[in-house]
Amino acid sequence: MNILEAQGIRKYYRSSAGLFFVTSPVVRAVDGVDLTLEKGKTVGLVGESGCGKSTLARVLIRLEEPTEGSIRLGGADFLALRGGELRKARRRIQMVFQDPYSSLNPRLSIGSTIAEGIRIHKLARGAEVKERVSRLLEKVGLPSSASAKYPHEFSGGQRQRIGIARALAVEPEVLIADEPVSALDVSIRAQIINLLEDLQTEMGLTYLFIAHDLGIVEHVSDVVVVMYCGKVVEQAPTGDIFREPLHPYTAGLIASVPVADPALARARAAIPGDVPSPVNLPSGCAFNPRCPRVMDICRIERPDLIQLGAGRLVRCWIHQKKA
Amino acid sequence: MSPVEDDPAGARRTQRLWSQGWSRFRKNRFGMAGAGIILVLYLAAALAPMLTPYDPIAQGDVPRMRYVAPCMEHPLGTDKFGRDVLSRVIYGSRISLMIGILAVTIAILLGALVGAAAGYFGGATDAILMRIVDALLAVPRIFLLITCVALFSGSVWLIIVLLGATGWMTTARLVRAQVLSLRNLDYVKAAEALGAGGRSIIWRHVIPNTATVIIVAATLRIGGIILTEASLSFLGLGVPPPTPSWGQMVFEGREALLSAWWLSTFPGIAIAVTVIGFNLLGDALKDAFDPRQFV
Repeated sequence: MNILEAQGIRKYYRSSAGLFFVTSPVVRAVDGVDLTLEKGKTVGLVGESGCGKSTLARVLIRLEEPTEGSIRLGGADFLALRGGELRKARRRIQMVFQDPYSSLNPRLSIGSTIAEGIRIHKLARGAEVKERVSRLLEKVGLPSSASAKYPHEFSGGQRQRIGIARALAVEPEVLIADEPVSALDVSIRAQIINLLEDLQTEMGLTYLFIAHDLGIVEHVSDVVVVMYCGKVVEQAPTGDIFREPLHPYTAGLIASVPVADPALARARAAIPGDVPSPVNLPSGCAFNPRCPRVMDICRIERPDLIQLGAGRLVRCWIHQKKA
Repeated sequence: MSPVEDDPAGARRTQRLWSQGWSRFRKNRFGMAGAGIILVLYLAAALAPMLTPYDPIAQGDVPRMRYVAPCMEHPLGTDKFGRDVLSRVIYGSRISLMIGILAVTIAILLGALVGAAAGYFGGATDAILMRIVDALLAVPRIFLLITCVALFSGSVWLIIVLLGATGWMTTARLVRAQVLSLRNLDYVKAAEALGAGGRSIIWRHVIPNTATVIIVAATLRIGGIILTEASLSFLGLGVPPPTPSWGQMVFEGREALLSAWWLSTFPGIAIAVTVIGFNLLGDALKDAFDPRQFV
């Protein structure tokens, strides 16, 4: 069962229109993305910084309105909701943020931070609120005494646990984790990842897991979606994509994952160059200036996202010709 | 899984704002002097009945006691009704300090609300509110005050409300700028995603985190508001006599300035010292809580 279906999501930004009708360039942060989340499963969303992952996440939980596209959450049109109905529906989809420092209000106690959602949605009253907060803290591995403390008394990893508890307080079905561990020490990462996995099994959560570290994505995801310059360039079941990446960009990302044992190190083929400026994308395939297998057509025409086999999608001329 | 992990590098790096700010403030001698001045002034105002040797309002044997130069019995002399100037200056501090605090509270609350609303909601709300601010800033304040006081009979409360209602615009601008930078922080986004309404986000998440900016602005504004009250009183539009207020004392002293210099001079000095005290305190707070100072 699909719990979230997003279709044709576009989010364009116009850098502020000038006073004298200067046509300002349009930034296509997300440019026509389809995304489906199956209940209880994890979709890993990867790509370099600036590829539109976080913008897509913000559109999906309606922190930003898409320029175009539709989102169905549990079968209902999520984008049509306004006011009280939107507030009610927000319970179903929550987010864990990247930066554990800016994601907690420094002037609110941990208890009030976690209780905020419980109060907004009137899930409990009086002493019961406290009880729920304690249970949530316990669930994320913190003592219930943490409730009276303030964010500065906690480490990055502990803060991330608090952020998870805040999101879980409203009993969501979908949890978007926007690079939840990239700001943490490597030694802490595994703990947070394991916590998220345990919670998924326990509560039947559906995850959209955003990361730029493929190692983590390989570990947690059922399906991997690769984005480049606002577009999906490849999508496949996790096992397939790591065994046989179809898009040269995916191959490059996988090759750049550090390997502990130098004897086993995969052939290094780090992607040369930088992500192009989003206001001035290259013509044809956006990846062509960095692609090791670039062909003439790549510089002229845009490839389409085509299906190759079960659940495998790729946007690349190498495969489109064959198809 | 262990419930507590160590993260010494990242831990506790943020938000030691208050303790850091205070320790920096305590090292600022001018700021401490300002705080000292204000403390003494408030103590004097609170303990006025115990400190003053004479009744500030009652007139005694007027022909004999008027215009007595500073001497042992009357350290700051007497005025044209034979009232002790020292007692009147001490009682006058009550008016100035009360007006200062209350008017600033009104101004800061208004300014913070307008600024927070403009910064948080943005768009048309922002444009409209900020144009109102621009328009009000363009009207000379003293004319507005004089007109209002002339229309309604003057009382201390009217003056407090007027000073508050005309002094909030710069605070609104300041708070708006602060809110614009807060609005995109993740904890505000998280509250939005939870379904919190605009008003609750402003009260719970935005205003408390602009507190230091607001406190500094308030302290710096008090001096200005005390001066405005003094000018109003000097123009005869302030606190109605016989309640002593510093501005009104300076005003009354001007007719005998050459023969009885002490009448205007001492309340004038009191105004200057108070304003300097608040400005020293405000400047020191501004330096101590400057976000760029935090490591």
